[in-house]
Amino acid sequence: FVRCMLHSCYSSLILFFIPWAAMYDTVRDDGKDIADYQSFALLAQTCLLMAVNVQLCLDTHYWTAVNQFFVWGSLSAYFAITFTMYSNGMFLIFTSVFPFIGTARNSLNQPNVWLTILLTSILCVLPVVAFRFVLMQLRPTINDKVRYKMRKEAVPAPTPRRHPRKVSTRRSGYAFSHAQGYGELVTSGRFLLKRPTKSRSTLFSQVDSPLAK
Amino acid sequence: MMASSYNAKDEDGHITVSGPGGGTLKNKKPDNTAFKQQRLPAWQPILTAGTVLPAFFIIGLIFIPIGIGLYVTSNNIKELEIDYTGVDMSSPCFNCSQNFSWNSTRPCTCTIPFYLEQAFESNVFMYYGLSNFYQNHRRYVKSRDDSQLNGDIEALLNPSKECEPYARNENKPIAPCGAIANSMFNDTLELFYIDPNGTKIQIPLMKKGIAWWTDKHVKFRNPGGNNPNLTAVFQGTTKPVNWRKPVYELDTDSENNGFINEDFIVWMRTAALPTFRKLYRIIQKKNSMIPTLPRGNYTLEVVYNYPVGSFEGRKRMILSTISWMGGKNPFLGIAYITVGSICFFLGVVLLIIHHKYGNRNNSADITN
Repeated sequence: FVRCMLHSCYSSLILFFIPWAAMYDTVRDDGKDIADYQSFALLAQTCLLMAVNVQLCLDTHYWTAVNQFFVWGSLSAYFAITFTMYSNGMFLIFTSVFPFIGTARNSLNQPNVWLTILLTSILCVLPVVAFRFVLMQLRPTINDKVRYKMRKEAVPAPTPRRHPRKVSTRRSGYAFSHAQGYGELVTSGRFLLKRPTKSRSTLFSQVDSPLAK
Repeated sequence: MMASSYNAKDEDGHITVSGPGGGTLKNKKPDNTAFKQQRLPAWQPILTAGTVLPAFFIIGLIFIPIGIGLYVTSNNIKELEIDYTGVDMSSPCFNCSQNFSWNSTRPCTCTIPFYLEQAFESNVFMYYGLSNFYQNHRRYVKSRDDSQLNGDIEALLNPSKECEPYARNENKPIAPCGAIANSMFNDTLELFYIDPNGTKIQIPLMKKGIAWWTDKHVKFRNPGGNNPNLTAVFQGTTKPVNWRKPVYELDTDSENNGFINEDFIVWMRTAALPTFRKLYRIIQKKNSMIPTLPRGNYTLEVVYNYPVGSFEGRKRMILSTISWMGGKNPFLGIAYITVGSICFFLGVVLLIIHHKYGNRNNSADITN
């Protein structure tokens, strides 16, 4: 709980103060205003969205085509909706509801703004990555150790052995528990032997092959 | 084993079950496609030393040059700020700031001399800055009527309720209504250059091209279409309480009069922070041989109309050049350099940790 609290406090501070400091007394590259209320709101909103998306990418355990579609799709939908909401047409039809007209066009074409967004998202995600990495080094969980071992064993045997066992076909993250799981594997001690075990290695070598290269 | 029996009928999705009457039941199992059986090819990001450490070093190495570039660009921007609030006795504008009253017909002027150390080249932008002015107060920001400002005749004569109490005055609707319009900045600033002979030359200031294109051409429109006679169009409305002139007398140029007056538009774009600057005029560059503002003595003449003493605000005039990253703001450069170096340092620290403790992955006590 404390870790979550710390992480969220840190993210909130970053997501506000970096755009604030970047916008303080700043103007566009043609001299016109950018530090107005609407542009600042748009900037903070976009920073937040990018940071959340990057965090999501990091936390997704199994990247399938569906995942890719939804993550990139949500980002493009955000930009599409933002531009639509801030377009001339919507303003002219519903004047008081969409007063932010022109804000996206005028602020998102500034390199200043994009650099701020990049900085904020990376700054939000860096501690998470570093923390997880350190945890993995100092206190590896059983999962991590298994993965490490499997990668070491999979690398010298690059051809994946497709075993007709059906348990390896179920590959989505949550369904891990529906498959055999580690129990039988670990207690039988086969795992500790140096020869690649058939049921596990197919699973991991399939998944790890892009990384193992 | 549970696993084997589970697997036997898993793959085949088209088992037909024969019922007792000899008919076949259509099976309800999902099709045996990769998508429905969740067999899509997948990739799993695992944080290993081989991916994380290079990533940290690369990010560090990319950010530091970006930060240096931003910082150098920001330092090359020339800026000059003159605070002309007139709070202490020695300031030329002290009299103006003290003797303020709304009904004074004779405007108070003050003159501030200053010296420009370096010549300013290319387009120079003149801003007015206010401090301690909360244009981001919620009730203030809502106090406007965008339909009226868009030229809607209906809204011109019946301003929305958001504008209260600045919607009507003496039973006539106020155009433009609202607190934002009412508090429009109305000081006049003029620049004079004093050349070595002693003659005072007025510097030409451009008042067009200071507002966003979308604001001037889409968001703000004068009512009555393109009718050049704005006095007639605004018949039946009255000026905001704190204004000296009505909205159709803001400028003699008809392209800059009424609601599409650029100073008005710039003011209506409410600022996000209590200390802000807004573009006032542009000093165009002359040919590339002569600097736009040469070194030397200048004077700033202020027609002091705008009172800021009641909320302890400050007013200033800012002259600035511009680069591709906007005005002078070294924060982004410094932030990038800092983050880049922290990243690099963190990468080194993680490398050390990995070397010392990374072998725990190889330990044999896994089954316990």
